[in-house]
Amino acid sequence: MSGYRFDRLKVLVVDDNQHMRKLVVAILQAFGVTQISEASNGMRALAVMSEENPDAIVLDWMMDEMNGIEFTKEVRNSPTSPNPYVPIIMLTGHTSTDCVQQARDAGINEFLAKPVSVKAMLARLTAVIEYPRPFIRTPTYFGPCRRRRTNEDYTGPERRTDGSSETMWVTAKSGEAL
Amino acid sequence: MKQQKPIEIFTPPNILKAKVGGSGVGLDSAALKRAEAAMEELKTEFADWMNADIEALGKCRDAYAKQPGEKAKGHLFRASHDLKGQALTFEHPVVARMAASLCKLLDGSPNTPLLLIDAHVNAIRILVRQNVRDVSDPTTNAVAAELEAQVRELQAA
Repeated sequence: MSGYRFDRLKVLVVDDNQHMRKLVVAILQAFGVTQISEASNGMRALAVMSEENPDAIVLDWMMDEMNGIEFTKEVRNSPTSPNPYVPIIMLTGHTSTDCVQQARDAGINEFLAKPVSVKAMLARLTAVIEYPRPFIRTPTYFGPCRRRRTNEDYTGPERRTDGSSETMWVTAKSGEAL
Repeated sequence: MKQQKPIEIFTPPNILKAKVGGSGVGLDSAALKRAEAAMEELKTEFADWMNADIEALGKCRDAYAKQPGEKAKGHLFRASHDLKGQALTFEHPVVARMAASLCKLLDGSPNTPLLLIDAHVNAIRILVRQNVRDVSDPTTNAVAAELEAQVRELQAA
């Protein structure tokens, strides 16, 4: 069976721990990814992004200079961002609900909790390839849709309709995930 | 009337899917096996990596002991947090548990007694040195539970 042509992908791995980078790179290489860039913090990752224009990013949370959350916000919101739509998979030991929510609100696509495993990494990569989420732009958020499920029974005034591109007006509710 | 704001919803072109060859292709089974084999091969290095992480933790502990402060505490938290995640990947679940307790101590307590930090660091060192990985080991569990209890008490005070 011939599978995904991962050899066509460019992936950026951002982690300040060289061992974790080595592990992630080894897994990606085994999947067939040949174009892999590495960076040890968010600042360097931005520079690499500008040069390499990666198709996907595997990102650690805790790093000096610019952490994963700050990096994601910069990628999504900065006018100088090389690619605000690039899929970001956050790989972290931060697994509390608050942390997941914080990462989601920064604009990550997928969350991968340590320990790292081949199957989990493949599942997240497959998710960003096969099930890309629509992007949302509001006055307070820009990034992939943060909803994981749709309440089909909901018929209220803030019901979001499907569509490839649309602008709608809704009643403001502070703190609501859009 | 409540204030209104615009929301734009749109779907960017799926460049990724086009690049890898379309939808539903999946990963070929050989690649998955290759990845599992690569992981197995790397496991031979896990012990060295763990030792490096423990050494980094020890250095941060020494720096904090020498000059306590938010900066040194932050570095120590980072090292313990790294260890928490790495230890799980490197198949040291008990170390991960104790590192998690140390993270909690450093992140959530206004005061962080060196004695309790050292109790965590020393326990982690012993676990790695003696290669203790069994989560059901009663002695290890008792030590971990005691450390966690001390952290809870400190934070409740």
